[in-house]
Amino acid sequence: MRLKEIPIDGIPYDRLKITKIPAAPEYVPRDPELVPAANRVVVVNPNRICMPIGAMWAVLGVHRAIPFVQGAQGCTTYARYTFCRIFKEPATIATASFHEDAAVFGGRKNLAEGIRNLVVRYWPEVIGVVTTCSSEIMGDDMVGFLKEARAGLIKEIGEAKTDETTIVLINTPSFAGSHVDGYDRAARAFVEALATTGDAPADRVNIIPGMLYPGDIREIKHLLREMGVEATVLFDISETLDAPLEPPQEIPYYPPGGTHVTEIKQMANARATFALQPDAGGSGAHYLERKFGVPAVVGPVPIGIANTDTFLQNLSRITGRKIPASLRTERGRLVDAMADTFHHTMMKRVAIFGDPDAIAGVTRFVCELGMTPVAVAAGTPSKNFAREIDSIFAEYQDLFLATPKVFNGGDLFEFEEYLKTLPRLDLIIGHSKGVDIARELEVPLVRVGFPIYDRFGYQKRPVVGYRGAELLLYEIANEILDYRYPDDRTQQL
Amino acid sequence: MSVLIEILPSRRGQVVVKRGNVPVLPECGRPTLPGVISERSCAFYGARWMLAAIPDVIHLVHGPAGCAYYGSTVRRKSYRIFSTQLVERDIIFGAGAKLYQAVLEACALDPHACAVLVYATCGTGLIGEDLLAVCNRAARKVNRPVVPVNAPGFCGRSQAAGHDIAARVLLDYFIGTGEAREPVDNGVNVLGEFDVQGDLDEIDALLKQLGLKLICAFSGRASVSAMAGAHRARLNIVHCQRTGHLLAEGMQDRFGIPYLKVSFFGLEETASAVRSIARFFGTTGGKEVIEEGIRNARKAVTPFLPKLAGKRVALFFGASRMGSMARAFAELGMDVVMIGSQFGCREDYQDAEAKIKDGAVLIDDAPEKDLEEFISERRPHLMVGGTKEKYLAHKLGVPFLVFPQEMSPFAGFRGFINLAREAAGLVSAPVWRMAWPKCYLALQAKES
Repeated sequence: MRLKEIPIDGIPYDRLKITKIPAAPEYVPRDPELVPAANRVVVVNPNRICMPIGAMWAVLGVHRAIPFVQGAQGCTTYARYTFCRIFKEPATIATASFHEDAAVFGGRKNLAEGIRNLVVRYWPEVIGVVTTCSSEIMGDDMVGFLKEARAGLIKEIGEAKTDETTIVLINTPSFAGSHVDGYDRAARAFVEALATTGDAPADRVNIIPGMLYPGDIREIKHLLREMGVEATVLFDISETLDAPLEPPQEIPYYPPGGTHVTEIKQMANARATFALQPDAGGSGAHYLERKFGVPAVVGPVPIGIANTDTFLQNLSRITGRKIPASLRTERGRLVDAMADTFHHTMMKRVAIFGDPDAIAGVTRFVCELGMTPVAVAAGTPSKNFAREIDSIFAEYQDLFLATPKVFNGGDLFEFEEYLKTLPRLDLIIGHSKGVDIARELEVPLVRVGFPIYDRFGYQKRPVVGYRGAELLLYEIANEILDYRYPDDRTQQL
Repeated sequence: MSVLIEILPSRRGQVVVKRGNVPVLPECGRPTLPGVISERSCAFYGARWMLAAIPDVIHLVHGPAGCAYYGSTVRRKSYRIFSTQLVERDIIFGAGAKLYQAVLEACALDPHACAVLVYATCGTGLIGEDLLAVCNRAARKVNRPVVPVNAPGFCGRSQAAGHDIAARVLLDYFIGTGEAREPVDNGVNVLGEFDVQGDLDEIDALLKQLGLKLICAFSGRASVSAMAGAHRARLNIVHCQRTGHLLAEGMQDRFGIPYLKVSFFGLEETASAVRSIARFFGTTGGKEVIEEGIRNARKAVTPFLPKLAGKRVALFFGASRMGSMARAFAELGMDVVMIGSQFGCREDYQDAEAKIKDGAVLIDDAPEKDLEEFISERRPHLMVGGTKEKYLAHKLGVPFLVFPQEMSPFAGFRGFINLAREAAGLVSAPVWRMAWPKCYLALQAKES
């Protein structure tokens, strides 16, 4: 195998992708003791991001909402940069602009002044205040500070004007979790702060999609429309992070769409809450169940046949509406596509990495395609994920020659080193941080999950629902064809 | 003096309009106001920007996974990054032992690395981690330099603070650590050049034409051994003044290497750069290099010029490239209507002010709202800036050129051709004719 060869010019192969400058005379094998992430404290190429970015993602899905990051400028800029690269859209995120003085004296002044400046310049309907490592370590009394900020605003612009802006506090110290947890906390913070009973129960359901792309949310809405179900999608980024180019725009520029505050208030009166990703949004659904008795249906993310079936059945059970013929047709088309491509996908060896909820769904789907997952790596450790993966493997045991390796938590270095010990793979499925691994192993990478920043259009193309699964299947099959078969055989199809 | 755009009163003075011969400069170096959508970043970002490209060291971020994640992508390239991935427990009880262990493990995983760079983050800065002590202890154990980069995100006004801290690290630990040998006769260093999309190749080609040898470029092409021998250069060429100035001063103090501040963006700037470098070395070839370069470039950009003539362009980027880029766009026949930067210093703005026309706006640390208002009020034909500003400009119907560039090098005579081609392509892109429906086009014509 080419990988095992010592590269030319004395360049260790793990350096080739970084630069061409020879860094060492020869390749030295890794200390096997230090490869598993559990055996070391140092993390190499983390497979997760920080909590605040998950919360910012969520706030950007609310109508005329601006996240306000109580931290240094980098906490905002890095996230904005990440969003811009993924969505190719502007991301308006305000910073509290911590400097040394804030680090010494705390962020009280920054918060009050920041909220004031943000309100008088942008007149947002919602401000999602997102805390960071620094504000949490300093022990900023955010609740108290926010009261002061509000009092200051009332003095300056009057109570009526102040009330037009709702402020939601989301505590997201980065060191306590990953972006998945950040989204989860935002979901909970929003329903806790806003959802209220009062009106008669509405004939609606709540959807908390988790960190799904605009294309996915559109596909979910399509399924709901076909079912004839009205729904509130909490953190609906389908328009806010995929806006049309239609100048002239009014300024301050707000992207269209997003979940309205009034809708979030009504979430307490819904028939049920569907949290599509247990780890990203699940706690919001659980809160609504405990506090208002709105039943929570948590997971699985509707990727692939079985999961989409489950989602629609649950929806049908709760709303009493039948699954329409149109969706059966979509399902049929997907099954047809699976039958057409099966001889190419079957027994192909695939490695999957990313966020726990999404890759649990992807893993089930590739099993449905008759592929063999050899390694599955979740960047954020999760119990739901472990359970879900266990049940998938139990169900598809007969297809596997060996039990796939599961990494629950851990980093990309561990994942990469493990893959290097295996016989040749056919495919890697994951996000853009896996490009280096895919190049190193000379295996195609099918991009799914968060973040995807090095290709266009992935944020608009669904992977959920039957139609999304069909698109994902085509990409998987085509990558296998490109990689696996000589031209004369791909041309004869 | 009317600025035409509404700014927050506390930012007054940071936006000025050039009028006549009275020099006006925006106030600069002020901390960013809380509550704005700032285009600035943090010191950690600045330090990563400076140091990321050094290949044969271990980059270890002492902070939560997020900072490591963000720090792994710099200038559109992906780098391996090590992290201690702090969790709550470490924040409460301190993470010195964890860091020490992490350095040892990182060196075991990457035994060839010549040094370890340990980056501080906000979290470690706040809990008061004694980075230097841990690094020194670890250095004795792993028998190679373990260097603290003490740039927690909140320090300084912007990423510029990180640039300075990183420059100090290079000076204190890496530059000139090799044997004290004779200077290389034709050896030069390039300071503040990060090799974005092959800029450095263009510069290197020019230096080669002059018979010069590039010893080390900080830090587009720097390795520990190249930096160790950097003191043998005869001349330091400072390209980005913001990031290169401190290095240049330090190397002059320590090794007596003189430096030249130049720019390789635009024909005139490149020509004067080549001229002054050639003069320094007493080379005769400079004149031919310039003449040939300019002749070829002028010929190659001719087809693009009609598309660019008289078009308004607004520039907003890093800092010290303001002046030379303004001049480059002027050479293309474009009208620079705004020039601004995230963290420019007085000299940067003086330099820029001298190169723009009456009525142009100078703006320091513009937050998103100011840019937004400027774009809708003044409607430039082209906006130049970073990725974060790009998509907003698009939404407001203005074509955008990303700088530092996305596609091809802009440095040198050949880079100028790329600049002209890309600017002309963007300005005349069919998409903007479709984006603006006819009724608005008529309106736009009336205005301009």
